[in-house]
Amino acid sequence: MDLATLATCLSSSACIVTQSTGGLIIGMLLFLVAAGLTLIFGVLKVVNFTHGSFYMLGAYFALTIYQLTGSYTLTILGAGAATAIVALVFERLFISRVYGQNVLMQLLVCYGFVLIFDDLVKIIWGVEFKSMGMPPAFQVPPLFIAGGLVPPFYLFVVGVALVIGLTLWLVIERTRLGKTVRAAAYNPSMVAALGINTGYLYGLVFALGGLLAGFAGALAAPVRSLTPGMGFSILIESFIVTVIGGMGSIVGAFVAALAIGLIRSFGSLGFPLFTDGLMYLFMALVLIARPTGLFGKEIA
Amino acid sequence: MLAVEGLSKSFGGVAAMQNVTLDFAAGSLTAIIGPNGAGKTTFFNLISGAMRPDRGSVKLAGEDIGGLSPTQIVRRGIARAFQIANIFPSLTVEAILTATVQAHLGYSERITRRFPLPECRDRAFEVMTMLGLSDKAALLSSSLSHGDQKLLDIGLALVLEPRVLLLDEPTAGMGPEERWQMIAKVQELWERQKMTLVFIEHDMDIVFKIAQSIRVLCYGRVLAEGSPSEIRGNPEVIAAYLGTSQETRNQESRSQETRGL
Amino acid sequence: MMTRHSLAFDVLLGVAALAVLAIVPLVFPSKALVDFMIRFSAYALFATSLNFLVGYGGMVSFGHGMFFGLGAYSFALLMQRTGMPIPAAFALTLLLCAALGLVVGAICVRLKEIYFAFLTLAFQMLVHSLIILWVPLTGGDQGLRGGIPRPPFLGINLANQTHLYFTSCTLLIIGLILMHHLVQSPFGYTLRMIRDNAARANFLGVAVFRVRLIAFVMAGIFAGTGGVIMSLFVSGAYPEFAYWTISGEGIFIIMLGGLNAFLGPAVGTVILLVLNDVVTRHTEYYGLTLGIIILLFALGLRRGLLDVLIDLWHRHAAFARAGKKAGSVPKASL
Repeated sequence: MDLATLATCLSSSACIVTQSTGGLIIGMLLFLVAAGLTLIFGVLKVVNFTHGSFYMLGAYFALTIYQLTGSYTLTILGAGAATAIVALVFERLFISRVYGQNVLMQLLVCYGFVLIFDDLVKIIWGVEFKSMGMPPAFQVPPLFIAGGLVPPFYLFVVGVALVIGLTLWLVIERTRLGKTVRAAAYNPSMVAALGINTGYLYGLVFALGGLLAGFAGALAAPVRSLTPGMGFSILIESFIVTVIGGMGSIVGAFVAALAIGLIRSFGSLGFPLFTDGLMYLFMALVLIARPTGLFGKEIA
Repeated sequence: MLAVEGLSKSFGGVAAMQNVTLDFAAGSLTAIIGPNGAGKTTFFNLISGAMRPDRGSVKLAGEDIGGLSPTQIVRRGIARAFQIANIFPSLTVEAILTATVQAHLGYSERITRRFPLPECRDRAFEVMTMLGLSDKAALLSSSLSHGDQKLLDIGLALVLEPRVLLLDEPTAGMGPEERWQMIAKVQELWERQKMTLVFIEHDMDIVFKIAQSIRVLCYGRVLAEGSPSEIRGNPEVIAAYLGTSQETRNQESRSQETRGL
Repeated sequence: MMTRHSLAFDVLLGVAALAVLAIVPLVFPSKALVDFMIRFSAYALFATSLNFLVGYGGMVSFGHGMFFGLGAYSFALLMQRTGMPIPAAFALTLLLCAALGLVVGAICVRLKEIYFAFLTLAFQMLVHSLIILWVPLTGGDQGLRGGIPRPPFLGINLANQTHLYFTSCTLLIIGLILMHHLVQSPFGYTLRMIRDNAARANFLGVAVFRVRLIAFVMAGIFAGTGGVIMSLFVSGAYPEFAYWTISGEGIFIIMLGGLNAFLGPAVGTVILLVLNDVVTRHTEYYGLTLGIIILLFALGLRRGLLDVLIDLWHRHAAFARAGKKAGSVPKASL
């Protein structure tokens, strides 16, 4: 425990700014991944354990696309699209076969793919840690905000994530497509009876999840080192976020992701060896107080 | 035996039950009827402890049982069978009934002996024979026919040796012949066990043939109560039932007009 | 299906199995085999206890590894730090596992499905974090060093690999017999009722919370025993024993072997251990191979191996019966 460092930081606005932005970027990336996860669970009732691999694929796709094109914009869009396609194929060919089955069977299929994706990445890109490097547009001096240093790239990530999140929320809440998706989550047989092809719908939802995870990977690539194991840790964390926020709730994922991001950031100051533990403690406390998560609905 | 007074329950502003006062004599066979949405299942939920009444009292043999948990109410002698058979899919008929007897006798947490305990199994077979399910003892309950599943559901309630048995639409989903077989069994059980039996039913033929007395619910209120002949001639009851079909006929003729037929 | 076997029959079977296991290292003197059997004992106990919760109780726990880890660390620490004889340390370890089960279970057991799974995971990872954090006691992420003192007891010297082998097998057999008895007791069937329809079971007078909690504690005790065996095998304890991957492997094992058959997890353990050894020896693409095999199981067989085999056996038996009834020679299978 290092409460002294934590206390000193909390009394300095510079430190608060630095740590908060650090926490924000963690939180935003987590939100993008968790949003896809919670959407897939809400509509398809599938606990997608392969989601961390989507994030990983997004990061590696970003690496290659950036190396080929040099354009970060193309990279983000391309990585998202490529991951979305992978997610769609995965759902149509494999997950669709285990709908309605024992959740452990679904878990097994996902786990199998985690192993396969990890090795494929090893084969295609190699086992060594890779790094994409910061795109030249962001290789500028950090900004001074309230005395704290804020890398412009962090602001970019937070901004992009907010835009994506808002767009997602608008699509789900305000468009006809979104209404169909929500209806399917509530009553799939009714939606099918209304003549809507649930197969396409499910594929779309999965692809959307993949898109979000791919974006997250592409946004993380400049500031994280890429390694075949990177899917695992984000998977566990994003699950914690969805559980805390309430499975099926995008707003919940947002709130929870921010909370976890900040806990990690400030927690690593005060509790350097127990940062993970803090996260689990937080989840335990939330679940004890609200057994279905902060914004979760009762599962029938 | 069973008496409710001023029973009321609302769900978010919608009054499912309004000031219902009824009583059921010990050993009687009563049918509860009423159009859809009349509150019949809510009535059962309130009596069996699945829901708490907002107002009013439920008394079993004079004892107030309002607000007690379902398990406590079961122990006091009210058992219930469900509209959709609410059973245990992976267990055999024999196993379920034995396990339920076990729970009823207080042996459900024993670890010193093996399942099935002979005394529990014997009692389970008694109930199975009563129901006519003994030749299906080793079948998985999920592979039973719909009618047999409902019988099993009733069997689970019977095992508890209730003073009051609530049956929610015992013949739902069955063809005409099966219905009469089912209701004949129900009557037989009632005569044998000498319990107070209350059942919800939609098939009027069955109701008028079997029930000793009838209670009619409509929009959460008691519309009428009495013997089958009294209810049959009651104009309000007829209106409540036929009213809905009259409305449908009016709607149909209106839409035919607009289509220019 | 209700079994006609009794405890006596199980014990007889167990003694026979032990006799066979005792002879095996004499016929096939191989250190690798002995080591394999010790690891098998540890994991099979863990997996069977997990299936007690998952298969029979319908309680999918992602945090079962906390007992494996606690079992390993408590036993190792008790032996290192106190002068206790081994049986005493073993008993005390099981008590600690039961206590953990009681506390965690009381909090988790009332939650539904996926939330129960994740809360148990959270608790396991908290245990793991504590292990990493408490360096002076546990050695942190390096693991517990210094070996485990093994004072001989009742003529058994656990420093001797053969003795360890036989003790592990005995613990496994006893554990399986006890768990099988629990599963086939009235308690076990009440557990199944709760698995199938907890709400109705509650209506029928079953104390759902209490039964679930007791099952959780029982499973924890047997998992802890696996942990003890593991700590003796590696002469210490490692944080990996409490990491979520142990729970993941447990789930994986019971899916491979079968949820419905009692010995399914044992079969699954064999499959996993053999798979691990064979695959790592023959290819560097462990993940790819294992992943494909998993998919074959999940999408192809769709059930655990032992479940499939037992199903085939029943169908064959039914076929034979039908053939006999018709008075004709049984036709070939479809």
